[in-house]
Amino acid sequence: MEQRSNTFLDNASEALKNTGQAKRRDSMARLTPLLRSAAIEDAGDFESLRQQMKQVRQHSLDNLAHYLTQFEQEAVHNGNRMHFARDAEELNSIVLDICQQHDARRVVKGKSMVTEETGLNSFLQRAGLDVMETDLGEYIIQQAVETPSHIVTPALHKSAEEVRELFKDKHDLGPRALEDTTDMVAEARQVLREHFLKAEVGIIGANALIAENGYSMLVTNEGNGDLCANLPKTLIVCTTIDRILPRAEDATAMLRLLARSATGQSQTAYTSFYSGPSRDGDVDGPQETHIVLLDNARSEMLTGDYREMLECIRCGACLNHCPIFASVGGHAYGWVYPGPMGSVLTPLLTSLEQSNALPNACTSCGRCAEVCPADIPLPDLLRDLRHEETLEKLSPSRWRLGLKLHAWVSQQPWLYRALTATIIPLLHLMGRRRGSFTRLPFASGWTNERNFPAPQKKTFMQLYKAGMKKPNE
Amino acid sequence: MSESARSEIFAKLRTASRGGSAEAIDRERQCLQSAPAPMPPATEVCEAFLINVLKNRGSIDCAAGRGETVKAVAQYLYQYFRSHRLVAGNDPRLAAMPWRDAGVLPRFGGIETGEPVALSFAHLAVAETGAIVTYTGKANPAANNLLPEHQIVLVDRNDLVATQEQAWTRINQDMEKRGRPRGINFIAGPSSTADIEGQLVYGAHGPSSWHIILLGDTPADILARAHSAVT
Repeated sequence: MEQRSNTFLDNASEALKNTGQAKRRDSMARLTPLLRSAAIEDAGDFESLRQQMKQVRQHSLDNLAHYLTQFEQEAVHNGNRMHFARDAEELNSIVLDICQQHDARRVVKGKSMVTEETGLNSFLQRAGLDVMETDLGEYIIQQAVETPSHIVTPALHKSAEEVRELFKDKHDLGPRALEDTTDMVAEARQVLREHFLKAEVGIIGANALIAENGYSMLVTNEGNGDLCANLPKTLIVCTTIDRILPRAEDATAMLRLLARSATGQSQTAYTSFYSGPSRDGDVDGPQETHIVLLDNARSEMLTGDYREMLECIRCGACLNHCPIFASVGGHAYGWVYPGPMGSVLTPLLTSLEQSNALPNACTSCGRCAEVCPADIPLPDLLRDLRHEETLEKLSPSRWRLGLKLHAWVSQQPWLYRALTATIIPLLHLMGRRRGSFTRLPFASGWTNERNFPAPQKKTFMQLYKAGMKKPNE
Repeated sequence: MSESARSEIFAKLRTASRGGSAEAIDRERQCLQSAPAPMPPATEVCEAFLINVLKNRGSIDCAAGRGETVKAVAQYLYQYFRSHRLVAGNDPRLAAMPWRDAGVLPRFGGIETGEPVALSFAHLAVAETGAIVTYTGKANPAANNLLPEHQIVLVDRNDLVATQEQAWTRINQDMEKRGRPRGINFIAGPSSTADIEGQLVYGAHGPSSWHIILLGDTPADILARAHSAVT
């Protein structure tokens, strides 16, 4: 997928022009926090749950070599073939090799952000394979030749009307009108059922890998991932090395937070654990199963300053609560992962040069950190990335100079107070009639978009000192 | 390619990992606190389970003995399909039911195209999440969970556990005795999607209706109590 993260501001301006999408994002931003908070209340002690999960995730990452070795042994014992991929190209080549070994033509896929990251679909399609996304949201955007706008609900940006038009264009509907959403879902179900039954290879992701028994865990509501895992003769699980958890019980602890944070459910409809190929006496299931584990910069993150980002469980709560994401949507972020988690991950998985606009797409409101079930300090990580951006001189020189000047003045209290004591009363005088300014020198970035309020007559320090002198007033 | 990738990745991970023996790592894991389960919606485990099934948009029924069970299945089939046919896995517990008494005609095996109803017997069920658990295999082919329009699941009240941790204790015991099944499926409701404008629609790929029949002795008013807790 072509990266356009550094044109974030232009992408955002473009996104704001589409009022239909902006309205849908607005209702999403109002509804999803309500669903989440009702579900979290029902979960009991959210803080204990997330601290427990943080401990388990940290322990797993502290001992990743041990747990990954254990997982590999158990998975091989269960009959899987294990593959390791250093980067996106390697994962894509491994998957294509497996498909070609089986002379496969048709592939069905469950939702997997990892394969979005590696661009697997287009790679397989270029090699002549028929690749079909089966999660309804992913299917819609695949048909529309678009990219996901949300990590949990990838077709969030599409209206029902647009989906209807898309299906009219791509499907042989005959006289059927697809009146409502139920009709559209039934239409996709019917079309995709055929693909499930004919595909030779199924590809799914994994929400967790269980070290003690070599199972991979898959969480869905539609059941499409399970159809991919059970109907085709060959199954390929593509995920990353950081998904390891020591025990099955640890996965249940994660599940108590995952669905509640993502969709406001206490549990998704299907939570499945798969161990390997079909057993003697089984009447269905794949004959051959492969697990492809991708590194793609995760091992570097493990030793770096942004290690906590590996604890992310991909619930999407930070997206749903982010005022920037709600305003501009996922496509503005210009790559696979949007919102606060994406603004941290994208520079780490690609490069800060390619995406330094993203850590700036933050108001530091802190809602993402408040709701994160993995307790990742996202605003701190974003600030650290902005700091790195300045150190690496990636931000405009004017900004850096301004920041330097501000930092210097802030460190000279007498000068700071003298300057503010001169400027504040002046601005107060100039703006007292209208109460605000429509233009100000050096502040066009602010005043181009909105008025700048005229300040009070006195500075904070002046009021503070006056208060100190008359404590009883 | 894969072998050199494997060595390279493991070399990096070993540098990043803390080290220590497997026993020390396991001891450390055991010392971590456990995740608190949410408060159940009712003190009685059967009632809590049925309430959570309803919250998951499943439907519920109860049956005291085998005769009542086949009657409950027959009634469901007649209500929705005006039929007596269904498909069920080769589960000895299902095979032993007196189907003929209620006129039900089960076909035992994997689901085939055009069969709208499948019947499963859960290995266990979890009150905390209102989920039933099946293992893939002859007794319950995976496709029987996924391809029908309606899934009926029988749950023996003796197989009901309160929390997900208790479920894993049972599953681990089963695995020790009979080996690891290919798939362990926790199912908590009909297949659903909200991918078009956030509108919730059932029957995305799997069943649009999910019916649970709880077998065994239960209080007479348990269904009414569960329904009143949800409405």
